Amino acid sequence: MTDQQVVAHPDAAVSAEFTELASDERIAKAAAALERNGIRPLLAATGADARGLVGSLLVDGAEVYNNTSQTLQAIGVADDIERSGRYRPLRLRLYRMDREMQRRELRILAASPDYVVGSVHALTEGGSLLIASASGSQLGPLVSGAGQVILVIGAQKIVGDVATGMRRIYEYCYPLEDARARRAYGVPSGVNNVLIINKVMAPGRVTAIIVKERLGF
Amino acid sequence: MSDRITPMSMFDYDARPVTPGVVLVGTRASRGAYAIRDFLSRNGYPFEWVDAERPDAVAAVLGAADVEPSALPLCILPDGSRLASATVEQVAAGLGMVAAPSRSVYDLAIVGAGPAGLAAAVNAASEGLRTVVVEAVAPGGQAGTTSMIENLLGFPDGISGSELATRATVQARRFGAELLLARPLVDVSADGPGYVAELSDGTLVLGRAVLFASGVEWRRLDVPGVDDLLGAGVYYGAGPSEALACTGSRVVVVGGGNSAGQAVVRFSRYAQQVTLLVRGRDLGASMSQYLIDHVTAIPNVEVRVRTQMVSLEADDRLRAVIVGSGDSPEPVRLPADALFICIGGAPRTDGAAGIGLVTNPAGYLVTGSDVARWPGSDWPLPREPLPLETNLPGVFAAGDVRYGSVKRCAAAIGEGSMAVALVHRRLAEVGGD
Repeated sequence: MTDQQVVAHPDAAVSAEFTELASDERIAKAAAALERNGIRPLLAATGADARGLVGSLLVDGAEVYNNTSQTLQAIGVADDIERSGRYRPLRLRLYRMDREMQRRELRILAASPDYVVGSVHALTEGGSLLIASASGSQLGPLVSGAGQVILVIGAQKIVGDVATGMRRIYEYCYPLEDARARRAYGVPSGVNNVLIINKVMAPGRVTAIIVKERLGF
Repeated sequence: MSDRITPMSMFDYDARPVTPGVVLVGTRASRGAYAIRDFLSRNGYPFEWVDAERPDAVAAVLGAADVEPSALPLCILPDGSRLASATVEQVAAGLGMVAAPSRSVYDLAIVGAGPAGLAAAVNAASEGLRTVVVEAVAPGGQAGTTSMIENLLGFPDGISGSELATRATVQARRFGAELLLARPLVDVSADGPGYVAELSDGTLVLGRAVLFASGVEWRRLDVPGVDDLLGAGVYYGAGPSEALACTGSRVVVVGGGNSAGQAVVRFSRYAQQVTLLVRGRDLGASMSQYLIDHVTAIPNVEVRVRTQMVSLEADDRLRAVIVGSGDSPEPVRLPADALFICIGGAPRTDGAAGIGLVTNPAGYLVTGSDVARWPGSDWPLPREPLPLETNLPGVFAAGDVRYGSVKRCAAAIGEGSMAVALVHRRLAEVGGD
């Protein structure tokens, strides 16, 4: 969802705390910290600019997996990946495979795309990234399986530290994601897995695009 | 947060397309709707099937519970546009799958994007030949509809036919081969030393050499009522688009080969009961042993050997099959909701009928050393026909469509690959560009 479509959270106080757009100073602080941690930061003024940046980073013909992400859907990146014809979208390929007879192929394909594109639930001013996942399937590629990682992060997700980031996940993101999962899949969600990326050892592998708009949860 | 965890495949939870696919509204008895389902499924295009006889489902996608019967099948494309009385050709065009050839002349025009055709495309394009593949439906051919191929070299855990087709297509395109999909070949004619292939929409493709890798189509079952019910409970082939729809159904599969066996395995996971009808004495005549072991171990599968179809029982759709067995003098009635016919293939050479290609009585293309001794071949050159070359210089055949080929996926891949070396010799012979 865009800046104009902030999701209604059941707790107004929680919502106020975790939807506030970070100041330019905090954005710069987080970006500098990311860079020190081995993550390349890029800045985008708008979701449209971020979409363009993602397009410039992806190589035509590459296998791309777009993580389940309100951010990516809101700015059109999910469309670009799945429908443009420029890439080999793994979601479509996985969807057509037989869950029983091609179980092993599914696991292998999903685990190591050329590119994974997604977002995070929190970015700390110290340059740590926090991502929660119910199934966990999207975390392995982020941390090691994918060749390249591109993350689009609305600036409302910047928090002071890891503890606040965890609180953002449990208090703000989880109720919204739970409601979404119930609508989409008919089952509840859960903070079943949490990935915290502090530093990235492989140079150039992870790019974080910080967007000066409220995007996603 | 609840302490309970709802078990769910992580792929069902996460790995679905997030962008809208195709929505197809129709009736299960509609042949046109089946053709579109089959086309989308074989091309790997996600779609949602909406039964027009379920008002709640129709209302959910159309906003109204009623839909004009004359508008069915109704197809809603990802951009929101609607196709009433949709055809496969319209759907393919609407999805941007109908591309025009980019060149006026190709070194090699390949008819058919099954294993033989795709192998030829990969090898030809990788060696710098300007290569185009024309395909009537979808990449993969008959092998592409097989749920699992377990004896293909290099795949110790097996590979699905659709995945093999996907990888081969990506590979061929990566080397620069073009694929012209969703249009069958209607005619081939000579043009100087080369040939012109005409597709169903009038597209013309000029190739300095041609490779027929068009495979086979399912041999027709000569039983009363089959043609009337095609797409309405009776299907030729393994019906990859129909597996989920057979949930809880009684499925009958006819055939004794690997395709029939894999279809049985696939449907057994959804159907209440699967019955395999085999005319022969046992499964060993045509089915690989690993598959026989698998099929005979599935609890909801019954194998009836020495059994033939006699007739069908149906009203607006299939209700039962009547079979005759060597073990019983009286026909037996088997309740059935779906019948899948996998009784082997007839070579697909329709588009080549007018150009004078020699075939054996069963229609398979005659090639190589067989050409010289075949009546009516009239080989025109001083040299002998090259292996895989038909009676027309520069026209080759590979895979199941070829007389004398081994009818296996691996053999087809080998022949398609091998054909490229022969094409090079032909191109050197005719010279020019």
